[in-house]
Amino acid sequence: MKIRTCSFMAALILSVFLLGGCSKEESRKLYLYNWSDYIDEELVKTFTEETGIQVITDYFDSNESMYAKLRSGGDGYDIVFPTSYMVEIMNQSGMLQQIDHSRLSNLNNIDRKFTALSVDNDMEYSVPYMVSTTGIGYLASELGELDSLSWDIFGTSDYALKMTMLNDVRETIGAALKYLGYSYNSRSEAELAEARDLLIAWKKNLAKFENDQYKNGLVSSEFVISQGYSGDILQVQEEREDLQFIVPEEGTAISIDNMVILKGAKNTDEAYAFIDYMLQAEVAAANIEYVYYLAPNTEAYKLLSEDILNDPAVFITDEVLENSEILLDLGDDNELYSRIWDEIKSAR
Amino acid sequence: MKKKSVLPVLILAGIVIFFYLPLVVLVVNSFNASRVSSVWGGFSLKWYERLFSDQNLLRSVKNTVLVTGISVLCSTVLGSLAGISIARFKSRLQKVHSVFIALPLIMPDILIGISLLLFFISFRIRLSLLTIIIGHITFCVSYVASTVQARFQNFDFSLIEAAQDLGAGKGQILWKIYLPLLAPGILSGAMLAMTLSLDDFIISFFTAGPGASTLPIQIYSMIRHGSPPVINALSTLFIAFTFIVLLFYQRISRRLNNEN
Repeated sequence: MKIRTCSFMAALILSVFLLGGCSKEESRKLYLYNWSDYIDEELVKTFTEETGIQVITDYFDSNESMYAKLRSGGDGYDIVFPTSYMVEIMNQSGMLQQIDHSRLSNLNNIDRKFTALSVDNDMEYSVPYMVSTTGIGYLASELGELDSLSWDIFGTSDYALKMTMLNDVRETIGAALKYLGYSYNSRSEAELAEARDLLIAWKKNLAKFENDQYKNGLVSSEFVISQGYSGDILQVQEEREDLQFIVPEEGTAISIDNMVILKGAKNTDEAYAFIDYMLQAEVAAANIEYVYYLAPNTEAYKLLSEDILNDPAVFITDEVLENSEILLDLGDDNELYSRIWDEIKSAR
Repeated sequence: MKKKSVLPVLILAGIVIFFYLPLVVLVVNSFNASRVSSVWGGFSLKWYERLFSDQNLLRSVKNTVLVTGISVLCSTVLGSLAGISIARFKSRLQKVHSVFIALPLIMPDILIGISLLLFFISFRIRLSLLTIIIGHITFCVSYVASTVQARFQNFDFSLIEAAQDLGAGKGQILWKIYLPLLAPGILSGAMLAMTLSLDDFIISFFTAGPGASTLPIQIYSMIRHGSPPVINALSTLFIAFTFIVLLFYQRISRRLNNEN
């Protein structure tokens, strides 16, 4: 009995050292902090084979938890993938390195129509990685195949209580603002008050404001029309052939996730090599086909299949782009939005 | 005749519905070909395939095994010694010690996590797997110590005196008397430490360095922006593993109790 316990412990200790030993290979490394399922791992493997740089990835679930982790002292990452509003916050807190354009030979592939939307439009401290849109998911079996749709659909009572909008201050108020012809980033109290009254009217037709379960509700026919993120709708589209995604004709919110190099990065050379690799047309195209988000890379567009180019949930056409905006950080005016949002939520 | 109360039946039903039914749903869904849980798309093992081909996921499994293995081992040894010395000796200092060791039991995880993080940063210790292990040992020791202490409730100290009379040294007493008698307590302490370390999220989140994600951190980040069925598959394996360990634990602890 005693001997067995000892040998068990010895085996455990030994295995610990063996396992520990594996991870101590001396090689060039690169530490990424990314969203989960947001990169084609095959591409990362190829990158490692080509350059000998080992890529180690950790994942975060929201911009906020990533920011909290990095701010509270979690260092050691080289490249992080924040959404544009978080890029601004991180830049203002002095967490980001300037991007040296001369070290990125493929930077010209970037679709400048998207960078034009962002605050960092010259890519001084961020390089766009993927873009996606907010739109409306609907069941074609109920509505038929639509060529265009207005945000006003939430104002009709035909599908009362079978519709959902997002439970998100900026997205939901933004949709109403956009329908009224204002900006997603409006700071005017009068415009916001108008949007509030409109949303309170729409609310009577809505089943609820819902962020996570609406996609499942669409699949099970509980809901017919839902405001949602293109990525979410795409995830469940394979379950239901008649589930369609459309960007409302008034325009919508575009969200851009970016690659940034942290100030404390220890592997800057490797970070540039990786970003430049991701900007290659073939790599970006393969990544789009895998992740089903659009990498803003004009050269990659030429390599995409017809299916992707015609899928409104993946490919963002110039028409959509023209009317759409990205959500900017509003600083102090965020409070205005939360107040309006409270009024909408508590209205009967 | 006493009238049978319906309350126990209701409570039982409640436990089955709220505790075991979700587990069943999760296990069933891990074999669901459809990625939406409300729709049954046929039986499939594809999520398990996906699981085993995900290098990053396998790395966090390895990290979890390392963290749990080492921290259970260390905290069992330290916690048992702490439990023995607190229960055996009585002095004013002992009381202070027992407060020290009990404190992490009632301290919120988030406090432990943040204070550990600040501690590591102020001493310029780079966050890594090691810092998670240190964090886990810190709170696991307390649990082991308190279960070991509980074994002293009806401990016959005359056995120790008898051994001393017969000329046993300190080491001999520890190895031949304390250890066998306390074994069930030590074992259940180790079990407790294992479950706590295995599913700890908050302390791990704060003390994890780059490349040191453990399973709970990984699972959490997958919920929002990943494929839920893969999480189901992973959790099913997790549950299976826990049940196997539990089975072994019951066997061993029954044998230990019989021996005593």
